Amino acid sequence: MTIEAIPLITPTFCLGPDSSQWEALEQLLENGLNHAPVCESESWLGLVTVHDLLGEVLPVSARMEHGLAHLGFVGDATAMLAAHLQEMKQRTVKDLVRRDVPTLRRDHGLMEAALLLYQQGISLPVLGSDGRLLGMLSARALLKYLAEKSGV
Amino acid sequence: MHGEASTSQVILGLSPLVVSLSIFVLTYAIIVTERINRSVVALLGAGLMVLSGVLHQTEAFHGIDLNTISLLTGMMVIVAITQKSGVFQYVAIKATKVVKADPWGLLVMLSLVTATFSALLDNVTTVLLIAPVTLLITDALCISPYPFLFSVILASNIGGTATLIGDPPNIMIGSAARLTFNDFLVNLAPVAVLVLLLTLIPIYLVWGRKLQATAENRALVMAFNERESITDARLLKQALAVIALVILGFVLAHHIGQEPGTIAMFGAALLLLLRVYDKQAEEQSHAIHHTFGEVEWVTIFFFVGLFVVVAGIEKAGALELLAHEIVAWTGGDFAITAYAILWVSAMLSAVVDNIPFVATMIPVIQSMSGVFTPEQINTLWWSLALGACLGGNGSLVGASANLVVAGLAERAGQPIRFLPFMLMAFPLMLSSIAVSHLYLWLRYL
Repeated sequence: MTIEAIPLITPTFCLGPDSSQWEALEQLLENGLNHAPVCESESWLGLVTVHDLLGEVLPVSARMEHGLAHLGFVGDATAMLAAHLQEMKQRTVKDLVRRDVPTLRRDHGLMEAALLLYQQGISLPVLGSDGRLLGMLSARALLKYLAEKSGV
Repeated sequence: MHGEASTSQVILGLSPLVVSLSIFVLTYAIIVTERINRSVVALLGAGLMVLSGVLHQTEAFHGIDLNTISLLTGMMVIVAITQKSGVFQYVAIKATKVVKADPWGLLVMLSLVTATFSALLDNVTTVLLIAPVTLLITDALCISPYPFLFSVILASNIGGTATLIGDPPNIMIGSAARLTFNDFLVNLAPVAVLVLLLTLIPIYLVWGRKLQATAENRALVMAFNERESITDARLLKQALAVIALVILGFVLAHHIGQEPGTIAMFGAALLLLLRVYDKQAEEQSHAIHHTFGEVEWVTIFFFVGLFVVVAGIEKAGALELLAHEIVAWTGGDFAITAYAILWVSAMLSAVVDNIPFVATMIPVIQSMSGVFTPEQINTLWWSLALGACLGGNGSLVGASANLVVAGLAERAGQPIRFLPFMLMAFPLMLSSIAVSHLYLWLRYL
């Protein structure tokens, strides 16, 4: 079995690498998505996820290796978070994009696709033979397909 | 096992001096290039010293200063456990609030905290604990972290100079020369404190007086609740108790006829016991496995390999030769010898790792005991310690702690570049050596 019959989430937009991180966040919020595709002149570049954007809002000192493991002592520091949110307008998506996300083909094996979805924990892009984004495959869609197919 | 080690037959009947020096130079050269991990190079060098016949295995093992190794390992275990309590963050935040989050006050406090911790723990661990919270506070105050990280680097090296356990060179010197914790405190702590205070003056002039933070941001930092950073109060009590015991042990070591290595290892074992006595066997195993995993074995094995390499050239007589050369060059003048050791150690320590240098110099100074009195030899030890520890401030590559902070700064998007750092740090290092020079002159010469 392959994934070709599973409906994909077709993106209504594709961010350019020079778009700001703020723009990426706006698109995600408007469209109710967790991952935004990034393309360079029509071909696939990578993903920007809501997880990574959340990271940008947090202090670097907490995100980095050997960084702070707890921030309980910080108390109400919404001003800090808000400041970082503002800074996202100055930073581009290029610094954040995940380029090493595994990509799927339309005729990708179902088992392999399921494993990749499980390992990555995010929806995965399905690319056409020309490297263009056809849509995103979500774990939910795969499970739904499986449930219907096996008549469980 | 073999009996008394006989004179080894060096491979191919070559001169032991030539072979050992070749291995030594090759080992150090590759370590300096940093192309290959230094502990691997040191172990290979050590192996070659034995395989080539320069050293018998027994002699090689004898050359490993296990007092230093156990002191380092013991302290690493104690720190690895203690830092989980969050106490270091607590101290840093408390110190910040004492000065009401005023930027210059913050810089001074963080420098003092770093220097104090550095005097009791190793410098790399200290900066790994202080740098992230420094970055957070400067982030909250919306000020550049550069002056703060710069000061943290300098303070860690200066603080490490003050005690027996503050810096590996001191540990090695103290171990070889049978100098106690108190000896270091009485002889080096005063000059370390002086150097730290004097170093803050130029830092104030260049950065300090321009540091500004808004009242709002300062209020935000003042609202930090340092008590929340203590994630494990029980662990904190246990750790502080053991550390107090260990330091007491160091202070009384001479009187009770014990050495720092045993004290540190016993303290580590005690703390491990406190951590696991109420756990099931499997959980115990897991906890201890994890703690031992946090020991810097790479550093430990680097020391092991290094000691053997140095033992090799020492046995071959190279270091005695060097000692004679130095004495000849200085004309046997004690004062000049002391100053020469101070300045040369500092210059070399600024550009290369001070540990191999100190490891090599120790037998050299020991060989001078025929020329100088025991009191004079002690002064030479202080020269070596001051030069090797303070010299580390000369450049980014001068000490491991410097590179660690630079790495963290890079990841935080505020890189510390080699030349700009050196432009400010090298003159400060030179003045600290000048102060040490004056101190040696006033106190011992």
